[in-house]
Amino acid sequence: MTDETVTGEQLEEGVPYRSRRRTLVRAGVPVAVAAVIAAGVGLVPALAADSPPDLPALSAEQVVAKALGSDAQSLSGTVSVSTDLGLPSQLLGAAAGGLGAAAGRGGDQGKGSSADPQSKLLGLLGGDQTLRVAVDGPDRQRVDLLENMAGYTLVHNGDQSWAWDSSTNSAVHLTGRPAAGHPEASKAPKTPLTGVPTTPQEAARQFLTASAGTTSVAVSGTANVAGQKAYQLSVKPTQSGSTVAEVRIAVAADNGVPLSVVVKSTDGSTVLDVHFTDVSFAKPAAKTFDFAVPKGAKVTEQKADEAGKGAEAAKGAEAAKGAEAAKGAEAGSHQGDAKDHGGVNVIGEGWTAVVSTQLPSAVEAPAGDAQGKGDGKQGKRHGQPLNPQALVKSLGKQVGGGTLISTKVVNVLLTDDGRVFAGAVTLPVLQHAAGVN
Amino acid sequence: MSQAEASQAGAPPVVTGRRPQSASGFLSLFRNELHLTFRRMRTKVLLGILAVLPVLIGVVVKLNTDSPHEGGGGPSFIAQTTQNGLFLVFTALAVALPVFLPMTVGVVAGDSVAGEAATGTLRYLLVAPAGRTRLLAAKFTAGLVFCLAATAAVAVAALATGAALFPLGEVTLISGDTIGFADALLRAVLVAGVVAVSLAGLVAIGLFVSTLTGSGIAAMAATVGLVITVQILDAFPQLDAIRPFLFTHYWLSFADLLRAPMYWDGVWKDLGLQAAYVAVFGSAAWSRFTSRDISA
Repeated sequence: MTDETVTGEQLEEGVPYRSRRRTLVRAGVPVAVAAVIAAGVGLVPALAADSPPDLPALSAEQVVAKALGSDAQSLSGTVSVSTDLGLPSQLLGAAAGGLGAAAGRGGDQGKGSSADPQSKLLGLLGGDQTLRVAVDGPDRQRVDLLENMAGYTLVHNGDQSWAWDSSTNSAVHLTGRPAAGHPEASKAPKTPLTGVPTTPQEAARQFLTASAGTTSVAVSGTANVAGQKAYQLSVKPTQSGSTVAEVRIAVAADNGVPLSVVVKSTDGSTVLDVHFTDVSFAKPAAKTFDFAVPKGAKVTEQKADEAGKGAEAAKGAEAAKGAEAAKGAEAGSHQGDAKDHGGVNVIGEGWTAVVSTQLPSAVEAPAGDAQGKGDGKQGKRHGQPLNPQALVKSLGKQVGGGTLISTKVVNVLLTDDGRVFAGAVTLPVLQHAAGVN
Repeated sequence: MSQAEASQAGAPPVVTGRRPQSASGFLSLFRNELHLTFRRMRTKVLLGILAVLPVLIGVVVKLNTDSPHEGGGGPSFIAQTTQNGLFLVFTALAVALPVFLPMTVGVVAGDSVAGEAATGTLRYLLVAPAGRTRLLAAKFTAGLVFCLAATAAVAVAALATGAALFPLGEVTLISGDTIGFADALLRAVLVAGVVAVSLAGLVAIGLFVSTLTGSGIAAMAATVGLVITVQILDAFPQLDAIRPFLFTHYWLSFADLLRAPMYWDGVWKDLGLQAAYVAVFGSAAWSRFTSRDISA
């Protein structure tokens, strides 16, 4: 019996494809392959992120001046925008709808074409986006939003501007100089319509120009961004009560072009990360800025001044949503234009500025209905598809004096009498601004 | 032939040793596999279904052209398809890629080893002086050829339907630029190639599953089920950490080739991911198949 068993085992070992050891070795091969690949995936980024470059030491002022005095006229590259504001996605959708309505009221012809930049760029507020930008002087810019299986393109060439949406084959054609604050004027130090910077330049300029007095700016080492050597600027608010902990800006050592902007909130998470993944300072090909109407596209014609009006209205609506961290400080300079559209006030200054407005009871209601203090509740219409007050109440949580919508950076307080206070500040600051406690 | 080789080697033919490797030997094995795959009624029916799909989409889009719906909804590129028939190729590929193409590939790859084990033909294949590694390689290559054929079936049928139902001519890319028809046709070929190669990882997975079981149906069902499961997982934003490593994650990145200039980022990631899956599951299939006890 025993002998037979032994011979059985020996036999089995002699048979190919059955040897246990061989099986084990072979089973090890895919495991080893998987391990090598996993190690490669883990190691390559670590190796690619080589040591920070050696650059002559500069003071913060010198780096800021370098950035502000940057005379780079042309660049092209790919920008990665990653926002994590912690906004409820329903709110984003509602805000986009509201912006469409606001734009429709602002410009008579702006019947909410899906190619309208205002509603489109709001998508930048949520999630990750990739953009391709090309700039050739102040007169010619192009921004391509690389959407999932679709594209959205803004082209500005002299007095012609186009916005094109591939998913609906529709375009908005703007003639005349674009109004200030138009998103296509990407070199101009103005807030783009959604408040979300579409290029690092805009973002950095926003922060650098808005920072005087309330901010500490320091150089915190160097870094490689998109293959360029860069200084890292660390911008921190000195006021208490702000929800922004730090803004880091990488400024190219060669020509002062800001290459990345990272905003961190006080809870340590990254709220906004805009950076070039590749960049070139060569002059883009001229045909980049030529835009011909695609065959069969629905074209909405707009004059620049009308679009400007729409933009202002949108800005007012958006300020009410308080959707952008950088807004607080910057909003002060826009207060004048915004006031005509919906009564937006700015309380305080610097990082702790609070934007306040009267919330319309329903976005579709005529503008007259929506304005004027106290008629928020009277103007309320049941069965309206979009009622901001009800929406806010359903999303927010009850606090002293009203309802709070809390995101990672921006907090919005809707008081019980229909006023809205928003800012990149903590709740007590909002309550203080609202005079409730 | 084999006798001559054996006497040259100066040793009697050993059943268990390595067979002499030669390119022509692999080629004939590969030809056999192709024959086996494409002569099957099942394969023809699958390719037929894939070819009918674009016709269906084209007709539906054509019928709806008179009352175009506002805003998004529906498959991608619909707005472009009504303007240019060539875009039906991309629409059809975008519709077929998540479900129909992987289903057919899963059936073919899942059945490749398990099906032969079930019918008992695998034993005879292994008796022939081929070597298991080479046999596996031949089956994998035949699977890749089927991916190409399946993608081509969709693309060609879509092009024919698009040409019949919609105008052709200059093509507007999704970045708003307009290119000539010849250029666009080249891009269509490129996109079809990328789509076909995107399925390589799935072929390797199917082959591995196929070596695990002796039942062809089980292997097919497991492979197709895996594709569906992975795509469901890919839809969860909570799984952000692992999503970029799911083999379906970058499948639809082929749309980035329809921009001007082309945006290769996602496509390279897709191809790299497929290469990784082929390496891991290919070696797993090899490890399993070469050490397996073929009893049936």
